[in-house]
Amino acid sequence: MYDEMAQVVENRPLAGRHFLLSLYSPKQARAVRPGQFAMIRLPGRSDVILRRPMSIYDVRSRDLKGGYGLERHGQRPAVLQVLYKVVGRGTRLMAELTPGDRLAVLAPLGHGFFPEEYLAQARDASEVLLVAGGIGIAALLMPARDLARQKIPQRLFFGGRSRHDLVGLSDFKPLVEAITLATEDGSRGYRGYVTAPLAQYLEQRCERRFLILACGPMAMLQVTAGLAERYNHPCLVSMENRMGCALGVCLGCSIRVQGEGHAAYERVCTEGPVFWSNHIVWDP
Amino acid sequence: MAKAKARKLKLEAQDGEGEFTPRIDVEIAGIHFQNPVMTASGTFGYGQEFAHLIDLNRLGAIIVKGISADPLPGNPAPRIYETEAGMLNAIGLQNVGACTFLEEKLPFLRTLKARCIVNVFGYSTEDYVRCIEILNAGEGIDAYELNISCPNTRCGGIVYGSDPKLTEEVVAASKRAARFPLIVKLSPNVTDIGVFARAAEAAGADALSLVNTFVGMAIDIETRRPRISNLTAGLSGPAIKPVALRLVYQATQAVRIPVIGIGGITSAEDALEYLIAGAQAIQVGTANFYSPDTSLRVIDGIRDYCLRHRLHLAQLIGSLKHGVNGAGEH
Repeated sequence: MYDEMAQVVENRPLAGRHFLLSLYSPKQARAVRPGQFAMIRLPGRSDVILRRPMSIYDVRSRDLKGGYGLERHGQRPAVLQVLYKVVGRGTRLMAELTPGDRLAVLAPLGHGFFPEEYLAQARDASEVLLVAGGIGIAALLMPARDLARQKIPQRLFFGGRSRHDLVGLSDFKPLVEAITLATEDGSRGYRGYVTAPLAQYLEQRCERRFLILACGPMAMLQVTAGLAERYNHPCLVSMENRMGCALGVCLGCSIRVQGEGHAAYERVCTEGPVFWSNHIVWDP
Repeated sequence: MAKAKARKLKLEAQDGEGEFTPRIDVEIAGIHFQNPVMTASGTFGYGQEFAHLIDLNRLGAIIVKGISADPLPGNPAPRIYETEAGMLNAIGLQNVGACTFLEEKLPFLRTLKARCIVNVFGYSTEDYVRCIEILNAGEGIDAYELNISCPNTRCGGIVYGSDPKLTEEVVAASKRAARFPLIVKLSPNVTDIGVFARAAEAAGADALSLVNTFVGMAIDIETRRPRISNLTAGLSGPAIKPVALRLVYQATQAVRIPVIGIGGITSAEDALEYLIAGAQAIQVGTANFYSPDTSLRVIDGIRDYCLRHRLHLAQLIGSLKHGVNGAGEH
């Protein structure tokens, strides 16, 4: 983890008030593992004080070409990419960033998708199912690349409120066998929650063994965790929570997990953000 | 007081022309601090979490997260919410407990040049005493900070801090049990801070620290639910600084024991206001979350200020002048 001032290379607007922010920070970019996150702060502001936790979407070379894994081609990652949606004060200010602006960035943070553990599970599975809700997609590109490089077949289930929330699809297309989309307003794919086609898929393939990686709203994660339990598939969830520090000291991001007394809570920033879904108490 | 005055005169006498090196060390409750900058309880973990980000040896003191006799799980999520120039928290004093603290956290803190102050919390007077009795075995603890002001636990905490009789009771019992000097951390959620400052002093407190957080609230208007599971929560950050500064000033006027100022400090300028108001030292809190080097910048800034004004810290503390700029001397 490094605490750096990073320069904005690009702040590209995408559909539905989404932005892809590219930050020049070689030391941090080189240290990133799939599933980790960054804490981003707008320096010099005393009204918006806390850093914001953001999944690291991708790491790229300085000219933004090539994605995670580009070191194979003799290039080293130098740019951190963060995919965000404007939802509040902090992200509204981030949307105004232009190349050359500097941000305080603490990264990479958290455990990510525990490399050995999840890759072993993934190899045992006949397919890895990536389940994303809205901006939760941001946590899944790097693991998807990891899995694709290991030639592990994967399928993406991606849901949003409308088609404008389905960002980043072109990045996933070369990595996965198939993509199933769902929107609440029916503007693209299934009408309804993404967990409906997921349930159907699992129901029809009871005999197969999957590994599920999920990131999205709490309700989606809870239903996904329930499906994983019902059909007996291992499931990793990348949790989101408000964070004060991401250093493990404010204890603001603690969530209820299996365990008694002091062990009843774990910090999303330090013990997470990725957890086995059966470790979390979904209805505390 | 007389001693402090004598020291002040001696320092003034030393200042001739030429090279001037300001002294910014300070002595509180018989403990020597290399500078007056401490990290506030609950904002700095057990120190080690910041070891790779800043040089901990430069700090005046580290005040660790509130410790209770038994481990506490804390409150359900959500526990924090950012507000304008501040944040609300209702963590509920999640902590590892006194025994684990001694075994796992203290050995590291002992190796540092920064002083180690342990924040102590309980649900009853017996709890506070029991926690102190366990911690008394800890080698390397320099002082206790008695937390009688946490707004986020149903009993204990603020209950003690908002009734002067209970304040006296818990401070007296804790002082009797304590092997190390006792700093009492006061709540700002009272009508007259002087009453509580004097109650703590009368019961044997060696020093005071204030303020803890202000009780606040925030509501999500779309769901019409509270932003924090505990409903109410403690407000901290730059937003509280002017109010906290006033309370610290009033406390220094009410007692003879040293006062440590806390509340919204993000820069040396903020810290200097507290020192001029009469605080012997200060604590950096919420700023640690988003700018871990704040304390070090504050230390450097205090030293620069003292150098620029050719003052030692002891001369600066409580040096508030009467009248405003333009109305009297500058």
